[in-house]
Amino acid sequence: MAGVWILADNHDQILELLAAGRSLADDIGMGLHLLLWDREEKSGEYFSYGADEIILLPALADGQPLSVYIPLIAEEAAREKPEVFLIGGSNRCKELAARIATRLETGLCSECTAFHFNQDLKRLEMERMIYGGVGVQTVASTSKPQMATIPPRTFSPGSPLEGREGKTREITGALETPVRVLEKKAKSKEQVNIREAKVVVCVGRGLENEEDLQLARELAEVLGGEVACTRPIAEELHWLPEETYIGLSGQVIKPHLYIGIGVSGQIQHTVGIRDAKTVIAINRDENAAIFEVADYGIIGDLYEVVPQLTRAIKEKVKS
Amino acid sequence: MPRIITCFKWVVDQADIRVVPGTDELSLDRVGYRISEYDRNCLEEGARLKEQYGGEVVGLTVGIPGAKKSIKDALSRGPEKAYFVTDPSFSNLEPGQTAAIMAAAISSQIEYDLIICGEGSGDLYAQQVGPRLAEMLGIPCAVFVNKIEIKEKEAIVECKVEDGVEVLALPLPALITVLPDINTPRVPGLKDTLAAGKKPVEEITLQDLNKSFDPYLETLNVRATSMERTCEKMDAGSEGIAKMVAVLTKAGVIS
Amino acid sequence: MIFKLTEEQELIVANMREFAQKYVDPIAVEIDEESRHPAEVMEKLAEDGWMGMPYPAEYGGAGLDFLTYAMVIEELSRSCAATGFTVSCHTGLGAGPIFEYGTEEQKQKYLIPLCKGEKLGGFALTEPGAGTDVAAGSTTAVLDGDEYVLNGTKTFISNGPVGDIFIVVAITDKELSAPKGMSAFIVTKDNPGFRVGEIFKKMGIRSSQTSEIILKDCRVPKEDLLGKVGQGFRIAMQSLDNGRIGVASQALGIAQASLDESIKYSKERIQFNKPIARNQAIQWMIADMVTDIAAARFLTYNAAYLKDQGLPYSKEASMAKLFTAETAMRHSSKAVQIHGGYGYIKGFKVERLMRDAKITEIYEGTSEAQRMVIAANVLR
Repeated sequence: MAGVWILADNHDQILELLAAGRSLADDIGMGLHLLLWDREEKSGEYFSYGADEIILLPALADGQPLSVYIPLIAEEAAREKPEVFLIGGSNRCKELAARIATRLETGLCSECTAFHFNQDLKRLEMERMIYGGVGVQTVASTSKPQMATIPPRTFSPGSPLEGREGKTREITGALETPVRVLEKKAKSKEQVNIREAKVVVCVGRGLENEEDLQLARELAEVLGGEVACTRPIAEELHWLPEETYIGLSGQVIKPHLYIGIGVSGQIQHTVGIRDAKTVIAINRDENAAIFEVADYGIIGDLYEVVPQLTRAIKEKVKS
Repeated sequence: MPRIITCFKWVVDQADIRVVPGTDELSLDRVGYRISEYDRNCLEEGARLKEQYGGEVVGLTVGIPGAKKSIKDALSRGPEKAYFVTDPSFSNLEPGQTAAIMAAAISSQIEYDLIICGEGSGDLYAQQVGPRLAEMLGIPCAVFVNKIEIKEKEAIVECKVEDGVEVLALPLPALITVLPDINTPRVPGLKDTLAAGKKPVEEITLQDLNKSFDPYLETLNVRATSMERTCEKMDAGSEGIAKMVAVLTKAGVIS
Repeated sequence: MIFKLTEEQELIVANMREFAQKYVDPIAVEIDEESRHPAEVMEKLAEDGWMGMPYPAEYGGAGLDFLTYAMVIEELSRSCAATGFTVSCHTGLGAGPIFEYGTEEQKQKYLIPLCKGEKLGGFALTEPGAGTDVAAGSTTAVLDGDEYVLNGTKTFISNGPVGDIFIVVAITDKELSAPKGMSAFIVTKDNPGFRVGEIFKKMGIRSSQTSEIILKDCRVPKEDLLGKVGQGFRIAMQSLDNGRIGVASQALGIAQASLDESIKYSKERIQFNKPIARNQAIQWMIADMVTDIAAARFLTYNAAYLKDQGLPYSKEASMAKLFTAETAMRHSSKAVQIHGGYGYIKGFKVERLMRDAKITEIYEGTSEAQRMVIAANVLR
């Protein structure tokens, strides 16, 4: 039956993959199939966003991890032989993807940032970053399905087509795994959403103390933005929640404006702001790499520059 | 008393990678190599678990003969013995191949209760080898782990997921990939380095494995990432600040 | 290159690099400004086994050859020349004479804690009136029952205020011509009559602690006589040969750091719309640096190699010390020049490197004294 298969573990990414998968399925001239285990009645919505078929998996029992689906999905794929299989880039799904690819004895392009269907060679050519973001590697799978994991927000969701329909097919099978989920600790919801923010003020190692975050917060506030950070600030110092760090392994953002204060600009970080419309850097080291990827820069001590800038913006707003 | 395999990879030091001027080609002519940063956490976790629970830790790497240089370095960071699976053809392996080679080597001669891998490698960062290896060995697996405890015949691990933390119980033998924040790798002391030279290294060749390992993924090309912007620099005085406010106004973020 | 590093040497040097980056670089500016002894770094060095590098494991050492030891001192000095010197002074001058001349009992009692880094060593030779002219020393040691009684003032003693065990050279026989009348002693800070005098404020290597040591009726058990009576001058000279390789390595670290900083800065510093590294004036300075450093490295490694082979190395140690010290001084000054105004500002590493370099032309035999040794070796 072939087709393009997609799978993701959250609603937003399903919509993103439906958009990407739909245009790819059209390019190849095949159907778009969505693997789903969520029993909530969203199927209609997914059909309107482009799915031709929903392959519904059995529900998870209590304490079963998502990886329990691996044998079932792999068997189904072996039977149905999809041409392409795109999987969302969440932590759980990355594991699923690698293990399904292993079962299917096929390649997997991890963290694929762009792809293109080569009509002449009838193959999917996929791009991904390597060497910490220094390079872009283009790969193709030597066997099928051609698989990739797609980082969140790589593609924008499409627009729904009212009245578009599809069919749902349930697959069954025993779900067995020796792994038990003992507990799920939800993240404390601090309601920071740097991905949606139009303005992001990002702090780096140039910040000396945790209290100094206030400087960034004040600047973000006058600009109606959010405060984000580099990986060490979140992971080593724990000054800010982990979902606020930007970079290759963290958030990839596309704001109107990014202001980096005390950010040195290592490539692992700056790949996360590549799509920012305007990048501003404040750093006292005129040789800091951040200036190479910035549109505007102020060379100076952030402790002097940031309060001044905040004040000047406040005055401008008042006037 | 778990028997632990810690896996590591010898990767290019990305700081040494240059873009060939005027092109989008990368030059790897003068790069140094090092143990992948993420694998230092893996080696450290192996050493830490051994300190806590006893047992034994070995190291495992796959690479071209030149990757032998990684072995003493790795051995100075904890393992008592290293397995070096090597062949001149083992350059630019894709993750599916690496996992298959490791699985063959492990099945052929290494006994274990736990396999630890880094979250991803410092060069490709595909994050596949761990879960692929688990699948090939048919053992349970947990990825993106930032805490490991061993209780009886189980590993209790905390996995970082998007909406929080999932605590899993994995019956041993199992495979775990660890995040950088699971620990702070130690700097090996002089004595660790000297002792490393005396630890045994088992070399496993392609002939020993008696199998071929074909890639599932073909690299079509590698280009340099382009993201340079023309930075207009302003001074830190009031003039620079005023200019910056003008920029912000123009960007439409000040209303 | 003749001195191709073995895999083990490469790894040891890389580990010291990692160590220095993690523990030394972050505090190098602060300990220089405050002239503070980095006790926390010394503790870590001891814990990781770096305090008895060239001595056998049976004495708590690491059993490295002297060449590898020299490479490690270079690498540590590249981050902080003062810390590098504290270790080389301790190892070469404090522990070295005990290893070479000590009895088994002395090694058990003093060398082991030194190698383990539980105690810090030093060497007390210089006196206010006896610098290069060692034989002009006036500190005396007189046997009184089972103890020697030492009287005199030693000055410019590295590790003086923080050291535990010192090799002290004193006159035991005034009748004999000076060199033959000198003997060496192991003196600890706990011996009665031992006192730290003035602590000096220095131009460079400021975190290395330097003071007077005042011996006033200082009683030293006669078992703590090092070597034989009358061997003091020889012990001093041989220790200095050995110490000179340490200073050469330290100077090499300073020179290398000067080069590192100059390369980095000249590629990044933009003037007239181009990196200053594109200017021939800068290129020539860097070319000279690289060349001199390579030559200095050969001389230093060669001296260490000869010592490892048990061959005479006195002249070679002097040549290495002379040339690396002058290389470090000349090129740290060039490094400051390349940095322009920034190079003259505190906190920029080259400013510290230039101050640190100067001492290497002075201590453990001035450049002039090295020339005397070298000339004496070829004109005899």
